[in-house]
Amino acid sequence: MRLTLLLAVFAALILGAPLARAEPFSTERVEVELHSARAAIAPGESFTIVLRQKIIEGWHTYWVNPGDSGEATDISWTLPEGFQTGEMQWPAPEAIPFDILMNYGYSGEVLYPIQITAPANARIGENVTLIAALYWLVCSDVCIPEEGTVSLTLPVAAQGADDPQWAPRIAEALAAIPQPNASIQAHITEGTPARLSITLPDAASVRDAHFFPYSRDAIDHAAPQAASSGAQGVSFVLRPGAANNLGDGPLEGVVTLTRENGEHVAFEITAQPGPVLPDTGGAPLQSAPAVEPMAWTAVLAAIGFAFLGGLILNIMPCVLPVLSMKALSFAGGAHSGEARTHGLLYALGVLATFLALAVLLLVLRSAGEAVGWGFQLQMPLVTAGLALLFFAIGLNLLGVFEIAGGVQNLGAGAAQRGGALGAFFTGALAVVAATPCTAPFMASAIGAALTQSALVMLLIFAGLAIGFAAPMVALAFAPGLQRAIPKPGPWMEQVKHVLAFPMFGAAIWLGYVLTQQGGAMAVAALLGVATALAFALMASRWGRIWFGVGAVVLALTLVWAWPPITTQRAPAEQSAEAWSPARVEALRAEGRGVFVNFTAAWCVTCQLNDAVAISRPAVVQAFADDNIAYLEADWTNRNEEIATTLAQYGRAGVPLYLYYPPGEEPVVLPQVLSEDLILETIMGDAS
Amino acid sequence: MIFSRRNLMLGAGAVAVATGVGGFAFVRNASAAVETGAAAPAFSVQDANGQTRTLSEFAGRTVVLEWTNNGCPYVRKHYDSSNMQTLQREAAAAGVVWLTVISSAEGEQGYLDGAGALARARQENAAPTAILLDPSGTMGRAYGARTTPHMYVINGEGRLVYQGAIDDQPSARPSSLEGANNYVRAALADVAAGRPVQTAQTTPYGCSVKYRA
Repeated sequence: MRLTLLLAVFAALILGAPLARAEPFSTERVEVELHSARAAIAPGESFTIVLRQKIIEGWHTYWVNPGDSGEATDISWTLPEGFQTGEMQWPAPEAIPFDILMNYGYSGEVLYPIQITAPANARIGENVTLIAALYWLVCSDVCIPEEGTVSLTLPVAAQGADDPQWAPRIAEALAAIPQPNASIQAHITEGTPARLSITLPDAASVRDAHFFPYSRDAIDHAAPQAASSGAQGVSFVLRPGAANNLGDGPLEGVVTLTRENGEHVAFEITAQPGPVLPDTGGAPLQSAPAVEPMAWTAVLAAIGFAFLGGLILNIMPCVLPVLSMKALSFAGGAHSGEARTHGLLYALGVLATFLALAVLLLVLRSAGEAVGWGFQLQMPLVTAGLALLFFAIGLNLLGVFEIAGGVQNLGAGAAQRGGALGAFFTGALAVVAATPCTAPFMASAIGAALTQSALVMLLIFAGLAIGFAAPMVALAFAPGLQRAIPKPGPWMEQVKHVLAFPMFGAAIWLGYVLTQQGGAMAVAALLGVATALAFALMASRWGRIWFGVGAVVLALTLVWAWPPITTQRAPAEQSAEAWSPARVEALRAEGRGVFVNFTAAWCVTCQLNDAVAISRPAVVQAFADDNIAYLEADWTNRNEEIATTLAQYGRAGVPLYLYYPPGEEPVVLPQVLSEDLILETIMGDAS
Repeated sequence: MIFSRRNLMLGAGAVAVATGVGGFAFVRNASAAVETGAAAPAFSVQDANGQTRTLSEFAGRTVVLEWTNNGCPYVRKHYDSSNMQTLQREAAAAGVVWLTVISSAEGEQGYLDGAGALARARQENAAPTAILLDPSGTMGRAYGARTTPHMYVINGEGRLVYQGAIDDQPSARPSSLEGANNYVRAALADVAAGRPVQTAQTTPYGCSVKYRA
């Protein structure tokens, strides 16, 4: 290569022609220059030159679509006769947010490749000069339009020759220009919001993604795109721009990706209107600040909190009755050896169930699902199943049926048996019953766990399990405590009957959750199954034939109830004062304070906070007095936008309470609210 | 133990929770802070003479809002060519209220106090009805003003009938004014003729509004 150049130089010298020469231009902020991949050009050849823009730190120029403000660099040519130029080619831009605006542009050094074709009759031995008049806007917090002229003089030779310095750099710049990729499929799906989905090979390694439309009017540039990935690709949430026609026709633009290994990729897409491509979403990408891995001290603290949370779970209304019966079985007279074995088996059951849940979460997370704690209750079938379980336990406590007979397949059935298996299943049942009652400590510990590595996550869940099992184990190992339990007697029957009612209460609450998920039909179906279940359980006491009749009745009812219970209702129309990032922005723009409640019907802590704090008259009055908008983000059913926002605040589940004082950054409130706390938070800002 | 009361409440709560949480109906609005056709947000802002101006005082009249920043090259294009002043005079002659709004925060490009804004208007021979000083950015954010210039037209009923760019030439180059299609002039003509505004929303262009950080 060097030899050819030397030859070209030699030839040029002999012919008296100078070398390729560039006339640069510069301002205080920007240097511009043309460079050619060819040091000498042959007649008729097509070659690439670049316009190089070097921008000082803190300033930027703009992409072909500048976004909300700004203007792209413009070039107009004065060329020797017969020379032709192609379009200026645009490297992939960066997203440059500025207050309520989003701009697309470049910083540092930019190389814009341009194709030039020399005419076949270009005269060998002559020099040609390409002159470009440039106009660009360069901005930091203020913008300055600049203009200048640059030129490039190239010798025409019988044999063209590469420029050793610029040919490789220009080849690199050309390769980086976003190009269409036939193997990538893209769909734009209309809706509120609209969705852009793209198929990608190796989608799991994508860490960040952004879509840049070619049209200024196509999308609301500043609205968060909530990029997420699935097994087959990535997808974006888009809000319409002034054109307001997302999904009506093809949408063209550039997608940029950052992969796990730090590699940046950019390609051009033309999304056709159509349904969302399958498996292209679910796991939010970290366009939000990445969550730092926790220090070991923080991990230990999280395990400690998990342990405390586990302890507290013992007195949850849905757990207490289950555990009370177990505790009473220790009452007077349990052989201490047997009690210890049962205590340990119970702990084992708790641990195994918690770890199984953790593993399930891990599997779902790695499959790209946007899951958080409480994910179980986002499935109507699980909600309905738990309601029936609580109902059945209640019936058992009332003495409607005993577990001596044939019904042993229920967890509750096995748990009621006095044996070793029973102790294990009591643990499992207690954990299953406890999942809806996410205590405050547990929520923060699990929230932390879900953002961490698999090992840390399992450790935190183990901490939770040990805390949860601790009281019963202590009881099993401390005869002193056992003696504190009153002697068994007829009073135990009464206690059992009383304890049935919290169980029914819990079942009613789950029925309420189901109204949100599946609607009235699902609840009616649930009540039908509950009735059939009660009949079957009662009938099973009357002998084999009746047991069969009960089983048939239950099976038929299940067949009837299955469709309404398993159909998840589409997310409700946003008629309530529903949360959306755009709504928050709009309200803040009006100068109003905004209080956002991230909640779910199945989240007890949330409902309690609503009851004891948010809906208190004093709080309602304070919101009204200070003109604070109250928005609710309902996570009862899956919602990626909410999951993404929760992740931004390091949470994997609800509740999350945010207060945006007028014109200031949001304040994160604790997960345990009180009337005073909310009032103080608001007043603190009012001063 | 400080959690005991709470845990008792949790127990009660799990059983008692059956109440939904009330909400208010809201219209969804995706692309702009104020939807075109919706009521223009009310404002109460000091003008350059120290008077408080509100939208309601102009009820029944057509109002133009012009976001400006005298240091912005896009604003310069329209003022140095007298394009903006001509439009202001046409509006005044037609009985249209023209409010020039400055949302630059103190210390940012384009910020002016009352005296400064009046002097500037004299020097540029501008003819707005009033210059509104919004250094806090409250009015700008309420309208979702993104650029200078960013133009809004409000009809006599207080509805926003146009928002967006001043014309179809998103460039700071004075030469781009030639043959430009002025959206504001067209919108005012539509309003005056009692027609619906044909181009009611465009993407604004210009410098970013220099809001208080």
